[in-house]
Amino acid sequence: MNAPSPALVAPRPERLRLVGQRRQLLALMHQRLMFGMLVYAGIVVIIALRILYLAAFGDHAGRKEELTAFIPERGDVVDRDGVPLARTIDAWTISVHPNKVIGDKLALAQRLAQLMPEQTAEQYFAMLRSGKPFFFLRRRASPELVEAVNAIGEPGLAIEREPDRLYPQTTLAAHVLGFTDIDGKGAAGVERAFDPYLSSPQTRAQPLVLSISSKVQQALEAELGAAMQHFSAIGAAGVVMDVHTGEVLAMTSLPNFNPNAAGQGTPDQMFNRATLGVFELGSTFKPFTLAMAMDSGVVSGPAQIMNCPEVLPAYGHLVHDTHPFGRQCSIAEVMMESSNIGMAQIADRLGTARQKAWLKKMGFLDRVEIELKEKGRPLTPGSRWGPFETMTIGFGQGIAVAPLQLAMGYATLFDGGVYHPPTILKIGPDHPLPPGRRVFTADTSYRMRSLLRLVVMKGTGKKADAPGYRIGGKTGTAQKIINGRYSQSINLTSFAGVFPMDDPRYVIVVMLDEPKATPETYGFTTAGWNVAPVVSRTVSRIAPMLGILPDMSREPNMAEVLPYVQEAKKTQDSSKD
Amino acid sequence: MSSRSFRSVFMVASCAGAALSCYLVSLRVASERAALEDVEAKIVVAQGDMRVLQTEIGTRGRLSQLERWNAGAFALSAPAADQILKGSFELAQLARPDHRVDFQAPVVLASAPAPEPQKELAAPETESSSPQAAASPRALFHEASLKTETREDLARTSAVLPPATFRTIDKPANAAKPAKEKSMAKPGLAAAQTTKKPAQNLRTAAIEKAKKAAEARVPAKASEASKLKPKKSVDKPIIAMTKPVTKPVRIAKVDPLAPLPAKHFGNSRGSATER
Repeated sequence: MNAPSPALVAPRPERLRLVGQRRQLLALMHQRLMFGMLVYAGIVVIIALRILYLAAFGDHAGRKEELTAFIPERGDVVDRDGVPLARTIDAWTISVHPNKVIGDKLALAQRLAQLMPEQTAEQYFAMLRSGKPFFFLRRRASPELVEAVNAIGEPGLAIEREPDRLYPQTTLAAHVLGFTDIDGKGAAGVERAFDPYLSSPQTRAQPLVLSISSKVQQALEAELGAAMQHFSAIGAAGVVMDVHTGEVLAMTSLPNFNPNAAGQGTPDQMFNRATLGVFELGSTFKPFTLAMAMDSGVVSGPAQIMNCPEVLPAYGHLVHDTHPFGRQCSIAEVMMESSNIGMAQIADRLGTARQKAWLKKMGFLDRVEIELKEKGRPLTPGSRWGPFETMTIGFGQGIAVAPLQLAMGYATLFDGGVYHPPTILKIGPDHPLPPGRRVFTADTSYRMRSLLRLVVMKGTGKKADAPGYRIGGKTGTAQKIINGRYSQSINLTSFAGVFPMDDPRYVIVVMLDEPKATPETYGFTTAGWNVAPVVSRTVSRIAPMLGILPDMSREPNMAEVLPYVQEAKKTQDSSKD
Repeated sequence: MSSRSFRSVFMVASCAGAALSCYLVSLRVASERAALEDVEAKIVVAQGDMRVLQTEIGTRGRLSQLERWNAGAFALSAPAADQILKGSFELAQLARPDHRVDFQAPVVLASAPAPEPQKELAAPETESSSPQAAASPRALFHEASLKTETREDLARTSAVLPPATFRTIDKPANAAKPAKEKSMAKPGLAAAQTTKKPAQNLRTAAIEKAKKAAEARVPAKASEASKLKPKKSVDKPIIAMTKPVTKPVRIAKVDPLAPLPAKHFGNSRGSATER
């Protein structure tokens, strides 16, 4: 190893070796340089291409997104004529950042107390010294106030704009519209039911068109409110509905609230009596029983004569009439005088099973089919539904439904017997009329017209008549259950009417909760005295708006019922239910 | 040589020029687009403002507020069934009672300028050729006789008062004017009558004589009336009024409607008859 090995081949000179290495190094460096250059060139080309592309097709720096149309923060809600019922506007919000206040805090607190007296100067001062970072002073402030606060010139006061939900018509249709919470999410009514539609950027540009007609709504609310005040009722509800489409033109529940300040409403005001509340609506149910019986063949028609005693003993109970016939009477008279005894017998002939099947078919055993979420479940006898319960349901006791449901039933009965689910959206290209479901025969529907017109012409609902508008309908006075017993003095009165009766187009249902007697009602608290006049006044206001012209010469075919009414008996006005 | 050597320079310059012009075009397009977008932004802002204003109007004029005004301040209520009409026919029927009122009104007027008709006797004669002339005076005659005395008395006083006392500007002045105008117009009418008379063969001589006699009376009465008026206003209006009532009732009411058309249409009618 130590001995140098004989060099068989002349060793490569050192210099040459170095040269070869250098050449290799150079080549490598060249490669690397070339690669780096290519990379740079590529980047430059990409940038250049990108610039060219942007120059050709791109947007310039000042371009704003989605500027071609005004899209509100939350969709508008309008009535069927386009009148805005709910809108989102930019409202001023005044807030304070106590840490950023640089002026005299005591003077600032005094000035704020002058401008916004809802809190005292001491409270404002405590707020400013609290060390907390942020307080809202006023949301939805008026421009004058904003100007005054701005004039203080304190940098710690912040004035901002934030979207705020405004209901221009204030209390109008408050229960239908509902309201939004502080974050702008729907909390009740349409705002809640259509929250995804109203808040989605894709759909909120188009307003949500309701079937409500604000003029009809206003008329109904005004008349019902006046009656509620006059009769000192604790509540009221009203529905106006299109017979042929199921569109709800007006729906109100009183007392109502102001959705602009929903937080100030009491639970009683917030309660929607028209859809969420269920009530025993009394005799307004009788037309259904009669229609079921006529359709089932149990009753031949208005001409059929039946026994109407003073008192009817049935299944261990006694059925009374407020004005008993005590003689033979026709079906037309039973209807006209709202005889419980007559109707109980008809229901008894119908039987429990058939009655249940009919009520199911009409949708009275389920929650009402409407888009709103506030829907009450009807109350029925359930497992106790025996023959006597069938009788009481026949004249409207023992079953509790929402007023909207009652309107739906009348719409079904007078739309030729075809059921259309009630809807709060306007029927149109965006919301086509769903196919109906036949419940009653067209013949029964037709024959009920003259019967209900008879009630208003000669029976208990005389005060509901509006000359020329051919109102037909049925009064209902239900005794309220107080402490588990039917009260003899506290009532819930209702009227379900249809107009014009010769060609039914609209249903109106009004209800007064616990109306009190007044001198002009002669001490009566029955529906014919307090709620029927509301119908008369409301219909004479809304019918011309709805395109129904008064006509004294038109009536449904009264020849079908008038021959079967005993004229000698003097009707006791509308003192009965 | 020089051109060849500068060829490349020209090429570069022309390329640069073309590129620059292209860039200018695109710059122009971009600036136009930016301006358009500014306008669009303004439109959107304006839409927002409109919404705010509409909302404010809608809120201030909300239905409950209108109802409060309607029911409270103006005491308005919904129209009753009989206030709504079905069409133009019923509307036209409604207009009929107005016509009746109009029909009665002229009777009052006719009795008002009681003294004038006498003066105008000349005029009706000219027209008597037209068949209508016979019918209209009868109608007037009946009406006037029904309502004569009390109303005419009043009318007289109103007609009488003005010339003496010009302080009362209203009715008396109006009533007085026609009398003057008619008296002025008489000569012209008389001339017209004379011209027409020969053309019209239908009249009887007796009628003509009667009319001439009437003409003769009229100016005399007019002068009397003008003399009487001041006296009445100053002295005893009631006595003065009783006198004229007896005179005008019969003759005066025959004429007043007839003469007026005679002035206006006398010529045209005459021509028509001639044809």
